[in-house]
Amino acid sequence: MKRTLWYSVTVRDRHGKVISRERRRSRSMLGNWYRILYGMMITGCCSMVHTSGNSWGTCYLQDNWDFRGDADVDYKSIVIGTGTTAVTIDDYKLDTQIMQGTGSGQMRHLASTPGWPSVVGSDCSFLTSRVFLNNSGGSITVRESGIYCRCKGPTYYGYACIVRDVFGTPQAVPDGGSITIDYTLGITA
Amino acid sequence: MTKQTERKQQPRKAPKKVGRLLKPQLSYKVEVTDKDGRVIAREEGPSRSYVRQWNELFHVQAAWVYLGGGGTVKDTSGSTCTDARVSSVTFKSNAGIGETNYGLRVGKDSTPVSINDYALGNPIAEGTGIDQLEHQLTYFTGPSVVGSTLSFTMQRSMVNHSGSTISGIQEIGNYMMFSCGMYTRFALGFRDVLGSPFSIPDGGAITVTYTLKVTA
Repeated sequence: MKRTLWYSVTVRDRHGKVISRERRRSRSMLGNWYRILYGMMITGCCSMVHTSGNSWGTCYLQDNWDFRGDADVDYKSIVIGTGTTAVTIDDYKLDTQIMQGTGSGQMRHLASTPGWPSVVGSDCSFLTSRVFLNNSGGSITVRESGIYCRCKGPTYYGYACIVRDVFGTPQAVPDGGSITIDYTLGITA
Repeated sequence: MTKQTERKQQPRKAPKKVGRLLKPQLSYKVEVTDKDGRVIAREEGPSRSYVRQWNELFHVQAAWVYLGGGGTVKDTSGSTCTDARVSSVTFKSNAGIGETNYGLRVGKDSTPVSINDYALGNPIAEGTGIDQLEHQLTYFTGPSVVGSTLSFTMQRSMVNHSGSTISGIQEIGNYMMFSCGMYTRFALGFRDVLGSPFSIPDGGAITVTYTLKVTA
């Protein structure tokens, strides 16, 4: 099976200088990714826990998997956190999410849109990237990242955590600095 | 050009690939039974490949590419749709009886899988004529979690009522529905070439099962 998900983390200081970088195969697509896939393949519904913690399920819907992120939005797209709890198949949110803002422990979430897929040799992949700015006045250490996407159950719209990774190395983002998270979803024939 | 600018424009060395293996897995099982239901041939193994349409359709959903958004996906007829868009039927694979536009299919081609495959090389048609099979439902078992693994399966049987043996079955794959502009089209999601050709006796059947699995 040659389907892969990679993430990379780049931390910059206030002058834009790269001060830390990490690139790994993603630890995990979560069960929710496949629950949404199942609902889409059968054009039906499936039980699933949303990021809200509610068991609202997932049904086939054109909004499913939408993980574009507008600026200042922390409930969809690539998200980050400070938690270190090991990834499990039924994770439905980050352990401890860093919220949008400029207060203590908060970071500004910039806009994010998945890039177009490209085929190179026997690979087909696309990149999704998001930048987070630390204007909190202090350093913030980021230890986890993930992807939240749009979804809908039989009754309620919501969001699902479909990817979560705990970094190999905690990444300290200085005040005025930024962290960029890239996820690359690829398949190889 | 300053030295600093020059340095910035030099290609950066690719970061070393480290970390644990991601574990989404696709595997298949093929069984041939005779007219009495006895298993006479069987093969199972890891799937060779998703193909590009799988990722392209996932991207259409993830980036919410809407009508007129330029989503490009080649369909199973070989025509390129340039208006693939978000839809509630993207990935739909639960084909009904006799439906061959989507759902699991088998064929006779043995060309190795390529990322650019858009259809089976030589798919078996629906029917009871020579070299035709009767396609049953493509049905699914719901996702279940065992330990740190979530999986679900899709399965389809195809029955040979052609009056003679159908030989040379050597490829399997899944066709999926998607929306192209205001129309429904179909795309290949994954394809595998079997290790050896299968023959289905008259009155017998071939059953293809794919398991989609992810381990945290």
